[in-house]
Amino acid sequence: MATEYRARSFSQGLRYKGNAGMWTWLLHRVTGLGILLFLIIHVADTALVVYRPDWYDHALDLYRSPLFRVAELGIFFAVMFHAFNGLRIIIQDFWPIAMLHQRRLAHVAIGMTAVLMLPVAWMMLAPLFGLADEPGTERARQRQLNGGVPVEASAAPAPVAPVSLEGAR
Amino acid sequence: MSTTEIHVEDTGRGERRPGGGYQSPEGELAKKGKFELYSWLFMRVSGLLLIFMALYHLVWWNLMIGVEHLSAEVVLARWNNPLWRLFNIGLASFALLHGLNGARYSVEDYVRNPKTRHIVKMVLYTVVGLTLAWGVFALLTFDFTRGLRS
Repeated sequence: MATEYRARSFSQGLRYKGNAGMWTWLLHRVTGLGILLFLIIHVADTALVVYRPDWYDHALDLYRSPLFRVAELGIFFAVMFHAFNGLRIIIQDFWPIAMLHQRRLAHVAIGMTAVLMLPVAWMMLAPLFGLADEPGTERARQRQLNGGVPVEASAAPAPVAPVSLEGAR
Repeated sequence: MSTTEIHVEDTGRGERRPGGGYQSPEGELAKKGKFELYSWLFMRVSGLLLIFMALYHLVWWNLMIGVEHLSAEVVLARWNNPLWRLFNIGLASFALLHGLNGARYSVEDYVRNPKTRHIVKMVLYTVVGLTLAWGVFALLTFDFTRGLRS
């Protein structure tokens, strides 16, 4: 009899009781392929900044739409999970004794991703609902006062806030 | 093809072992096997580097600069520093090659037909290769005398 261990359907594959090991393996693949797809788009549009800065700013308008803001959080999650789970795989590869604790290590990778995602999700989503300032607002204000030059890029100290702004009201 | 016939495929990883995994290749297969060893090592080394580089990149642009405040001017000011362009060349290269190899693993696992697999792989290599060339070319041909007002 020919033996075929391969799951024949998607639902059959999902019923395989591999627990954390199986789900982290699957999520590692899915996040990896998702990151690659985003990366191709991201590298292509960022390269525009050199040749057509106006087109690049136009592309950024798309990234500022609410749908993309949520997708950006998804990318953050994908990279963070892929990083921590990848670190778990490296540890297990080079330190065989860790294989005995692979299930616990998988839970640690998921847990670390979840814990770090909480503040990140707040920082990235709260501005959408007006609950907090967009990250980097203070830095952007300093940059504007500095004539468009990022504060960290120039050695000159940022000028003091102009008094005329107060008087204009 | 009858249903009982098992299709033996050449994955380039050597002979399948009954208990799972692959027999270490000998002779003709040894050369191909070496490539798999180096690609395995590359995934670990680049992955370790990417944990720091990619997470730094995400934190900087999403949580320090903020997408709302992002503009061509901000990116160009950053790229005026050759070290940051070098960082971006490294990040794009490691990330795209790491992703390319990871996608190759998936293609070899799921695309069963040898001809289809070959075509899918060639499309994958072409798309990622052109993207990498386009990104690195942009970072290298960047005219760093513009962007800054001073």
